[in-house]
Amino acid sequence: MKTIMEARNVKNERVDDVHFELMEETLTTMIGPSGSGKSSLLMLLNRLEDPDEGEIYFKSKKIEQYPINELRRNIGMVFQQAHLFDGTVEDNLKFGPRLKKKWSQNLGSELLEKVQLPVDILTKDVSHLSGGEQQRVAFARTLANDPEVLLLDEVTSALDMRTVEWMEKLLHRLVDEEGKTILMITHDLKQAERLGSYTLFMNEGRLEEKGETSELFRHPNSNALKKFIEA
Amino acid sequence: MTNISNLSLLTMILFVMIPVSLSYLYSLGIGKSAIWSSLRGVVQLFLIGYILTFLFSIPDWQGIGLWVAVMLVIASFQASRRGQGIPHAFLLSLSSLILIEVFVLSLWIVFDIIPFRSEQVIPMSGMIIGNSMVAAGLAFERMKNEFHSNQGKVLAALSLGANASQASQMIIRKTIRAAMIPNVDRLKTIGLVQLPGMMTGLILGGASPIEAIRYQIVISISVFSTVSICAMIISLVTYRFFFNQNMQLQTIEGGND
Ligand SMILES: Nc1ncnc2c1ncn2[C@@H]1O[C@H](COP(=O)(O)OP(=O)(O)OP(=O)(O)O)[C@@H](O)[C@H]1O
Ligand SMILES: [Mg+2]
Repeated sequence: MKTIMEARNVKNERVDDVHFELMEETLTTMIGPSGSGKSSLLMLLNRLEDPDEGEIYFKSKKIEQYPINELRRNIGMVFQQAHLFDGTVEDNLKFGPRLKKKWSQNLGSELLEKVQLPVDILTKDVSHLSGGEQQRVAFARTLANDPEVLLLDEVTSALDMRTVEWMEKLLHRLVDEEGKTILMITHDLKQAERLGSYTLFMNEGRLEEKGETSELFRHPNSNALKKFIEA
Repeated sequence: MTNISNLSLLTMILFVMIPVSLSYLYSLGIGKSAIWSSLRGVVQLFLIGYILTFLFSIPDWQGIGLWVAVMLVIASFQASRRGQGIPHAFLLSLSSLILIEVFVLSLWIVFDIIPFRSEQVIPMSGMIIGNSMVAAGLAFERMKNEFHSNQGKVLAALSLGANASQASQMIIRKTIRAAMIPNVDRLKTIGLVQLPGMMTGLILGGASPIEAIRYQIVISISVFSTVSICAMIISLVTYRFFFNQNMQLQTIEGGND
């Protein structure tokens, strides 16, 4: 299996000496207590921030070697909060594609279908959407760029069980059928175990443990992870 | 025009005593500053009266050049105070205000709206520069506030592949809009609620209402357009200071006062 992204000794004031690899076309889950630096790490991978020390590689080249907006487009990110732009759902979905003049109405309905939202929502003002709807629009907005890697920060936290199920199926499809690589932060340990091939455990800014998901959950090494799983 | 005598002017002390006694009565703690600011205002105005008298007595181009320059520097300084933390805020304010003043003044002169005379150009320029000063200050403040409160949206835009300019569009739009809205509102009700200061002055000075409104139209429309231009220049130049060369958001330090 090929490595698509790699972090080597990455360090800033919120993340301490983090080292890991993302395997191509797999889903990796990331868990860890609140404030342990999970979101901060994603910011570095998307190059919204640069680390003070260490390097990050994308397809065996340092991320600094790519034109930065191409890199960000290719390593799509969905934030913990939806952060939708003012305007309609369509305005949001076409933001990325329009920068490359690749927008079509079809794409809009296709994206909404993927995240199980009705097509007629397209013209709706985002301020009238529920939290769960906003979260899925944000997800669709990132998918619109068709990135190779997806960094997802708690994208199912505001959804009911049935929608979570749907989204999990979507994630599987994205990996298995569309060949995407996903790194997903979740607070739901069951979900982390269910979805991940690999899992990263962050604790106090450090990547305390990493490995195959089933292995990691069955045989946690560190006390921190043991406590975290049991809690 | 009838003159207000010195004696009549002195009765203004009575008027000042009202807010001052109110302040003591309710311990509002502004009695001293009320007296001080009234005094300062009076002195300032007398000073300006004499300065203007002097300016009107020297050749027009000298008077205009001198006083417009002074106004531009003071206004730029004042505007840039609201731009604390933004690099070159003073120079930016100064160049925007110069640009605006030159633009407006040449239009006025070329289209024969006003003659190139100190008595006309100085007060009219003062209104343009004063309003643009406020607009520039607000634009600085607005840019800082909007970048602060919309950090997440800007990050989202960047993560979708937007460059600094594209990611700032929503903030720039809001800033320009915010500068225009009060003027739109003011134009809508102009004259109905309160006679604009300039028109009031002209009428008191003996001009006919029809003459007075002509000036008011010129000044109101000119202010409207210059204020918009000013906010546009400030926001189009300053947005880039919120990013570093890697299109990453930068925090701008510097409180508002
Ligand atoms: N913009 C910021 N500036 C300064 N410190 C921050 C900023 N964002 C987060 N932090 C701090 O950095 C640490 C890591 O935060 P981070 O958001 O990465 O945690 P997290 O693991 O994603 O937590 P959660 O599960 O609650 O989302 C926290 O202590 C947080 O307070
Ligand atoms: Mg987080």
